[in-house]
Amino acid sequence: MTEAVEDIFVRIERAFPILSEKLLHTKEECTEEEFANLAEDVRVLKLSQFVEDIVIHHIEQYIRWHVAPVFWEKFENTEDSKRGFELFKSAVDDLYSNLTEFLPLLKKLEYLRQNQDVVTDPSSVENDIEARFKLIVRATLLSQLPLYHECIIEHFYKIAFNVFCNSDNSSPDVSVNEIQCVGCAQEVENCQCQMIVYIFHETNRKLIELKLLERLVGNVLTSLIHIRIENHVIQTCDKTFDVSQLIPLENWLETVVMSWLIRIYSGGFSKTVTLSDEIRNAINKFKQKLSHFLYETYTKIRINHLFNIIIEYPESQPAVDDLRICLERTDQRKVLIKNLQEAIKTRLLHPGVNTPDIVTAYIAAIKALKHLDSTGVLLEAVTEPIKSYLRSREDTVRSVVNSLLDDSPSELADELVKGECLQLDDGSADDETEDWEKWMPDPVDADPAKSTQRKVSDIISTLVNVYGSQDLFVNEYRTLLADRLLSQLNYHTEREIRHLELLKRRFGENQLHYCEVMLKDVYDSKRIDGNIHSDTSYNLQRELFPTSALILSAQFWPPFKEDWKLKLPNIVQNQLNKYVKAFEALKGNRTLCWKPHLGNVSLEIELKDRKLDINVTPVHATIILHFQDKSEWALQDLAEVIHAPATVLRRKMTFWVSQGLLKETSNDVYVLQEESTSKNRLSTDIVEEEETESVMASASDQREEELQVFWSYIVGMLTNLDSMPIERIHQMLKMFASQGPGAVECGLPELRQFLDRKVREHQLLLSGSFYRLPKS
Amino acid sequence: MKVTIKSWTGVATWRWIANDDNCGICRMPFDASCPDCKIPGDDCPLVWGQCSHCFHIHCIMKWLHSQQTSHICPMCRQEWKFKE
Repeated sequence: MTEAVEDIFVRIERAFPILSEKLLHTKEECTEEEFANLAEDVRVLKLSQFVEDIVIHHIEQYIRWHVAPVFWEKFENTEDSKRGFELFKSAVDDLYSNLTEFLPLLKKLEYLRQNQDVVTDPSSVENDIEARFKLIVRATLLSQLPLYHECIIEHFYKIAFNVFCNSDNSSPDVSVNEIQCVGCAQEVENCQCQMIVYIFHETNRKLIELKLLERLVGNVLTSLIHIRIENHVIQTCDKTFDVSQLIPLENWLETVVMSWLIRIYSGGFSKTVTLSDEIRNAINKFKQKLSHFLYETYTKIRINHLFNIIIEYPESQPAVDDLRICLERTDQRKVLIKNLQEAIKTRLLHPGVNTPDIVTAYIAAIKALKHLDSTGVLLEAVTEPIKSYLRSREDTVRSVVNSLLDDSPSELADELVKGECLQLDDGSADDETEDWEKWMPDPVDADPAKSTQRKVSDIISTLVNVYGSQDLFVNEYRTLLADRLLSQLNYHTEREIRHLELLKRRFGENQLHYCEVMLKDVYDSKRIDGNIHSDTSYNLQRELFPTSALILSAQFWPPFKEDWKLKLPNIVQNQLNKYVKAFEALKGNRTLCWKPHLGNVSLEIELKDRKLDINVTPVHATIILHFQDKSEWALQDLAEVIHAPATVLRRKMTFWVSQGLLKETSNDVYVLQEESTSKNRLSTDIVEEEETESVMASASDQREEELQVFWSYIVGMLTNLDSMPIERIHQMLKMFASQGPGAVECGLPELRQFLDRKVREHQLLLSGSFYRLPKS
Repeated sequence: MKVTIKSWTGVATWRWIANDDNCGICRMPFDASCPDCKIPGDDCPLVWGQCSHCFHIHCIMKWLHSQQTSHICPMCRQEWKFKE
C-alpha cells in the first residue's frame, strides 16, 4: 500500500508539474489515459481534496514569485504617454498569456473534483476552481501593488479615450485634421486610431476575463472621466447664462461617456444587449455616480459665476433654473452662500462702486435668489452683507427713492406700479389656511428666528427695510419731493400726486401724511394766488411785475437750509410786501414769511449788443439787479449789501461770469460786460453742478438737530452724576427724553456716534468707557 | 444794461399771527393742525378769546364741551368769550 502511495505521489507530480515549481511539462506529457487512471486512484484513496489544496497552494506561490513581479515590473513612472500605452498593453498581454498556461492545470483539478464522491455545493465560490484561481490571481497581484501603478494605466486610457471621442465626431475639423490626427496625435497618413481602438478593446477584454478591470483600472478610469467631465462642463458652460445646459450635458454624458464605458465593459461592443446583468448593474452604478459628479461640477461652475449670473438676471434665468435643479440634487447651499458672499464683497461692496449700482445689483440679487429659492432663506443669508453695507452709505435711501420715482423705465418704478396689485392680492386671499396641504417646511439652513418675516417681503419692502424702519425712507422721500416742488414752481403736481398715491398704497396714509399736506400746499397756493390777483385792493397798487408765490405750511415741510438771509433789492421787496398785505387781507390773522433765496425769476436783460431771456434764482437776480445801478462791484461790498457770505456769493457770481455778463477784472472785483466777447463764455459745467444742490437740509442734518434735543439731558445727567458709561446714558435717555408724542428714538450705536463727535468737539471727555464733562 | 423782471415767483411760509407758538391745549404748534385734523390752516383755524388767549378751534370747542358748569379759558381761568 505504501508503495502505491509513494507511486501515486510521483504520478501526481507528473500530472501537476507546478508542484516542482515548473509550469510546463519538462519531461514527457502526462497522457489523458494516465491522468484518468490517476484520478481513479485519487478517488479511491479519497485524496482529491488534499491534491487540490496542495496544487492551489503551489499555484499561488508560483504566481507570487513569478507572475506578479513580471507584471508589475512594467508599471514604471513614465512621462511618455506612448510608452505608457505600450507598456500597459504588453503587461496585460503577458499576464494574460501567462495565466492561460494555467488552464490545463485547472482543467485537471476540475476533473479530479468531478470524480470525487462527495457532492459539493456548486454555487459556492470556494468550489468553483476557476473562480478560486482568479481570486488568487487578483489577491496576489494587488498585494504587490507598486506605488506608481496608475501612471501607465492613465496614459493608456487617456489615449484610448481621445481616440474614441474623436472617432465619434463624424465631421472633424478639416484644417486640423490635415496635419495631425486629433485622436492619436500622429500624422494622418499613418493614423493609428484603428490600431489603438483594437488594442484597447483587446486589453479590456482580457482584463474583464481576468476580472481585473474594475480593481485595477476603476480608480484611474473614474478620475479620468471626472477630469473629462470637468473640462467639458467648463467648455460648454463658461460665460453663457442664457441657455439651459442641463439637458445637453446629460445627453453628452449618455452618448459620449456612457457609451465609452459600455465599450470598455463589453470589450468592444457598443450594444448593451450583449451584456450580462452583472456588468449592466456595474455600469448603472457607475452612471449614477458620474451623473452626480456631473451635477456637482456644473453646480460648482455655476456657483463660481453666480455673481455674473445675478448681474445679468433676468437674461440669465436659464442658468438660475439649472442651478435650482442642481441644488436640489447636490448639497451645495453652504458653498453657494460662502462663494457668493465672497464675490459680492470683492466686486460690489467697495468704495469704487456707485450706490445706485449697488442698489441695482441688490435688486437683481433679490430677484434671482428669489427665483432660485422661493423660501427666501438663501436670499436672507447672502444679502446680509449688502444690507449692512448699504446701511453705511449715506445716499442709499436717496438713490432708492430716486429710482422709485424715475420717469425713465427702471426696475423699481415698475415694481412700485406692480406693487399695488400685489398688495390687493394679499388682502383678499387668506393663504394661511387654504394652502395647508402645500405647506413646506423651511430648508434646514434657515434661521428659525426669522421665519415669519420672510414671507411677505417684496423688493421694495426689502429695500426699505435695509434700515429696519420706514421713517428714514419716508423722510428722504419728503426731502426729494420738496426739492422737486421747489424747483418746478409751476403748480403742476399731477405726477407727484400719482407717485404719492402709489407710495401711500405701500406705506400707508399715516407715514405720508406730511407729503400729502405738501402737495395740498402747492394746490392751495395756486388758488390763493388767483384770489390775490383778482383782489381789487391789490390790483389798485399797480404791479411792477407779475408776482406769484408758493405758500408752504412750514411744519410739514422738511427744514430748509438757511444759513443766511438774502436781502432782496428794494423794488422786489416792496412788491413782495404788497403781496403779503394782500394775503393778510385774504386770510385773516395769518401772515407770510418769505424765503427770499427760494423761487424762480424770469429776467429780460438788454445789453448794448444783445438781449437775454433767462430764468434764474432770486440770488442771481439780485446780483444782476445790483449791477444795473453800478457796473463795478467789489465782492465784499456786494456781499454786505445783499447780506450774503462772500464765499457763497463768489460761487453765485460764476454763473453770470459763465453767461458772459460779468468779468472778474482783478481779485474779487467784478465788472459788467456790456459787449460780449466770445472768449469769456466759459463752460457752464460749474453752474449746473451748483444748481442741483438741494435747498433742503440733508437727512443727516435733520437727524443731527433731533439728536441735539438729547444734549441738554446728557449735560444735566453728567453734571449731577459726574461720569457715566454709555449704556447708562442710553437708559436714562430712554426713561426721560423719549416719552410722549413726537419722541425721538435713538439707538445705542447712534448715541455712541453722537457722543464721540461731542468728544471730538471737546464738549465731552471719554476716560475708559466713562463719559464726563470737561472741567471748565 | 437794463434788467426787466418779467415775473417773480417766490416761496413763503404762512403762519398765524398769535402771541404764542403752540396751542395751550394740544401743545401742537399753531401752524400745524390739532391732533384730530390732518390739514392745517383753513381746515383747522385758530380762535381768540376776549382774554387774548388763542387755541385751535377744535381744541377749545372740545374743552368747552367737557366743562359742565361754566365756560372758562384753560389758561387764565377767566370766563371764555369768543373775540368778535
